[in-house]
Amino acid sequence: MKRITIDPITRLEGHGKIEIFLDEEGDVANVYFQIPELRGFEQFCVGRPAEEMPRITNRICGVCPEAHHMAATKALDALYHVEPSSAVKKLRELFYSAFYVTDHTTHFYALGGPDFVLGPDAPKAERNILGVIHKVGVEIGKQVIDCRMRNHHVIQMLGGRHVHPVAGLPGGWSRALTAEEREEVEAIARQNVDFALFSLKLFDDIVLANQAYVDLILSDAFTHRTYYMGTVDANNHVNFYDGMIRVVGPTGKELVKYHARDYTQHIAEHVEPWTYLKFPYLKDVGWKGFVDGEDSGVYCATPLSRLNAADGMATPRAQEAYERFYETLGSKKNGRYEPVHHRLATHWARLIELLYAAERMLELSQDPEITDPNTRPVVETTPDEGVGCVEAPRGTLTHHYQTDENGILTRVNLIVGTTNNYAPIAMSVKKAAQSLIKKGTVITDGLLNRIEMAFRNYDPCMSCATHSLPGQMPLEVVIRDAQGEVVRHLSQYI
Amino acid sequence: MKTLVIGLGNPILCDDGVGVRVAAELAGMLEDSDGINVDVIEASVGGLRLMELMQGYDRVILVDALLGPGAPPGTIKRLTLSDLERITPPQHVASAHDTTLITALQAGRRLGLALPESVVIYGIFVEKVDEFGEEPTPAVARAIPQATAAVLSELRAAI
Repeated sequence: MKRITIDPITRLEGHGKIEIFLDEEGDVANVYFQIPELRGFEQFCVGRPAEEMPRITNRICGVCPEAHHMAATKALDALYHVEPSSAVKKLRELFYSAFYVTDHTTHFYALGGPDFVLGPDAPKAERNILGVIHKVGVEIGKQVIDCRMRNHHVIQMLGGRHVHPVAGLPGGWSRALTAEEREEVEAIARQNVDFALFSLKLFDDIVLANQAYVDLILSDAFTHRTYYMGTVDANNHVNFYDGMIRVVGPTGKELVKYHARDYTQHIAEHVEPWTYLKFPYLKDVGWKGFVDGEDSGVYCATPLSRLNAADGMATPRAQEAYERFYETLGSKKNGRYEPVHHRLATHWARLIELLYAAERMLELSQDPEITDPNTRPVVETTPDEGVGCVEAPRGTLTHHYQTDENGILTRVNLIVGTTNNYAPIAMSVKKAAQSLIKKGTVITDGLLNRIEMAFRNYDPCMSCATHSLPGQMPLEVVIRDAQGEVVRHLSQYI
Repeated sequence: MKTLVIGLGNPILCDDGVGVRVAAELAGMLEDSDGINVDVIEASVGGLRLMELMQGYDRVILVDALLGPGAPPGTIKRLTLSDLERITPPQHVASAHDTTLITALQAGRRLGLALPESVVIYGIFVEKVDEFGEEPTPAVARAIPQATAAVLSELRAAI
């Protein structure tokens, strides 16, 4: 069997890699996907007071500390059996919406967007934020940075610190909002709504108006029919902060809707001998391998998945954008839109979520309860076990803690956003490789780009937490013949 | 001249937190009487966010863990931006999520942001960054006072 190895090496040492195995015919047989492992998190936590978890877990990842902080805070609510007041819930959701605006903005303009804004065939060195600024103009580049800065300001105001928030308490939130601050947040939210509408218009003008890009989105190489997971409110609308976990099948039919605390009844982890990664799958369907379809328990949890798992958006303009998305890419059957299976449409879905986050932030900033100063309840209950769950930008994030009666941790389990998507990522990489490796012929030029695009649309969190210089990620491809000899060696930075 | 010292890294990932420790030690040693106009912060960010933190300063000194061949753990290396440019070409992303610092700085300058003229990096070679823990390995721990002294003397030399 031929083996092709692709190494996305973080920091100069080799950590993760993608291995592509060919069959005797020289076609892709399997893709093995490995990423860096950070060891010892549970051991690190056990023996510490559970109240430290919102501050410890937000150190897991420099990319989405806010998501870990919020999942940990909600796990403490459950652990201490304390239901936050509606004012506390709204404050938290306001904070979380500001975080979503920055995160989705950054992904579109600096990371995923360049493939479209510059075009998938643009030279590598141009497909970054510099290239985007060059193409769309300095003024828009300034707006992107302004958007990040004003929302970081809100995150600091409400989270208590500039990067790693500290405001979460069991049943509470340590930073209340003053009337003056509320006005400032409302003004920022208005700017965010304008910016989100502008970003969707930009996507229209640059991507949807270009048939070649639309064909790329619709192409089979980037399509998978799987189950989709997302958190929904009582109306089955997308919600990032709270709700029920809903899973729909490839036709859009609801498979299950459950409370986050019951996750172990619905999600199991499949183990493969070639990797320490565990692949979550739907227990009710079962693991059938890395395959598409209704009989395969593989599910996906991304912006696209959240839209697919919901019946709509809770805010008016995001709902309009949602309808347009499905009118353009999907079809309406049995009274609801069928899921969109084109993975590259995730970039569009992310912008619709950006608009929803901005509109939701505006609504919350205008809520009379938002300046309620009573945000720190007295907690007198005995802790035992709690699950906290939010939608992280990269997928459903679950924190599960168990403690003794003094609140000292005895067990910790996390399912981070990207983990949900391990199997779909492996499948997308395989498909991208299949389109370029046929009967032993490897089209090396496009291989890395295709794999990179397949990869990036999941916005995978590969190397949480460490930022050691040089912090780059060279993608290395080693192609071996049937005897295991290296016949080709390629690399580029992703 | 207004200087910002940023200790980079994750303080609960063993050696990765070395930059944060140097920053903490430095903050404790600086005295008002030094007459140095400096802010000292810690951060676990890269790329765009790191660039944004640098706005409004004339000079930035980064202290970070350095992982790679070439020197034993605990070795301190002073790098300039052009050194960094050689090891991280301005191509795409640093992690799967962010631009490299070089790209971010280029973008910031292109947008007319007030970014420092001088960016210096003190890299400390490390060994253990993939395991959770609060303590650095012995060789890296020994480098902390040396790195702090080096940053302090660079700060004082510029007065």
